[in-house]
Amino acid sequence: MISDVLIAGGAMTPFNRRKDGSSFRDWARAAVFKALEDAGLEAADIDTLIVASESDFFTLQLNPAALLADECGMIGVAAKRVEGGGASGHVAVHAGVAEVASGMSRRVMVLGVEPSASHLKGVDVGALYGLSFDAWTDGMTGIDSTSLYALSAQAFMARTGATTNDFAAIAVANRAHARANPNAHLPLDISLQDVETSPVVASPYRRLDCSPLSDGAAAIILGRKQDLPSTARCRARFRAVSNSVDTVRLGERRDPGCFHGKHVAAQRAYTAAELSPVDIGLAEVYDSYSGAQLQALEALGLGSDEIINAARDGVFAADGALPVNLSGGLLGQGAPVGATGVAQVLTAALQLEGRYFGLQAGHAPRFALVDTHGGIATLNAVSILEAP
Amino acid sequence: MKHRLTLDYSVPVGDLAPYFDALAEGKALASECSGCGFVAFPARNLCGACGCRDMKWRQLEGSARLLFRSDGNSSFALVKFDGADTKSTVGLIHPERTTQTGELAAPLGDAPGLWLALADDNEGNDDGK
Repeated sequence: MISDVLIAGGAMTPFNRRKDGSSFRDWARAAVFKALEDAGLEAADIDTLIVASESDFFTLQLNPAALLADECGMIGVAAKRVEGGGASGHVAVHAGVAEVASGMSRRVMVLGVEPSASHLKGVDVGALYGLSFDAWTDGMTGIDSTSLYALSAQAFMARTGATTNDFAAIAVANRAHARANPNAHLPLDISLQDVETSPVVASPYRRLDCSPLSDGAAAIILGRKQDLPSTARCRARFRAVSNSVDTVRLGERRDPGCFHGKHVAAQRAYTAAELSPVDIGLAEVYDSYSGAQLQALEALGLGSDEIINAARDGVFAADGALPVNLSGGLLGQGAPVGATGVAQVLTAALQLEGRYFGLQAGHAPRFALVDTHGGIATLNAVSILEAP
Repeated sequence: MKHRLTLDYSVPVGDLAPYFDALAEGKALASECSGCGFVAFPARNLCGACGCRDMKWRQLEGSARLLFRSDGNSSFALVKFDGADTKSTVGLIHPERTTQTGELAAPLGDAPGLWLALADDNEGNDDGK
């Protein structure tokens, strides 16, 4: 169990498609400066900067950690960049936790940033995302993320009896949650029929089943209580972090509809935290596609063994026993890749502290779970946070 | 700021060269584990089942059966090639066909992906017999 790594403060920019001429450097500065303010710290107090950014092809900037340290007034800081596909932000948070827990650094800034929407055309981003899997096999066939997720979803549906209506219900709920989130990309008031009549992207997925490409940044500061100012000492802390990789090729998985790597990561996290799934009172999970949220919840062991019935019974609703993705998730809040996992952790921490700026859990959860993955649940990062 | 970047990669494929050479001719060359006999297609350098590093090559017939397919702007499927222990993701040729079987085809263009030509509707619905 991790005993003393706190989320001293944090901030995020709105996630959306920027049309105001601002750059990822501007978003990074905004997130970093607000995070420092939230923690009651100065840039000079930071020992290490860890930057999460999925691809240099998005930023058109190699060595982004050094650039962003300079941009954000942290010359002299130790800096590194961490990458793990869609989980880049969350993996960077894990690197920051290790940095603090080991005593290597007293205070770590984790900064996630990605211009996933505004720098390149969607078709070019899609082509790059196709290299997120096995680039020599799947990537060279030209298969896109949506089609791979669609094939996995079909295997999940065949095994569990999940329907496109179950998927659509998640697309609707997460967009509804996003309506209370001022930073959300898609705060939509939509119906099941809207989802089920939106254009087919890759069957069974339709446009409204898919998360958007977003721009944005998020930053959190990690430290031990003794190294933080008094304002930051009563913040949420990490109980456990875990990571597990599954086979890169979907076809090599025993059940291509099962997110087994995520299951392993979650079980390790529960063991390390000395908790079980029933202890979790809130979750932010990786809903790159509507059906992927159900697949994730099943793998994480949340709800019950009958995941579809739990979803239909409202267990994961905002007023349910285990609220999921009150931020709107990727479907509603958006997905600037490097920033996504950082924002998920920030959201969970603020919920546990009762400071969340969007839809708050109806009860006061003691433990929250954060789940992010890269590839198609290939590299899986799980964190369990505890309320102050 | 506008910037156009054109990149022309030439990627050596190393120990998997026999697999890619065969694929360019539309042939399905799988890897077979010398330890447990696990047959992987696409081929692997290390056994995904037991971790054995001693692999040999095994020619498959190239016929496959669809497990799941997804259609949109393009059509892809998760299939099982006859003789393989793994499943494979493939792009579909003749996606308008509704058959459940097909044959490996040489890659379209110079990208070494897996492409499956679906059997004619009058030939493919034989329940695999």
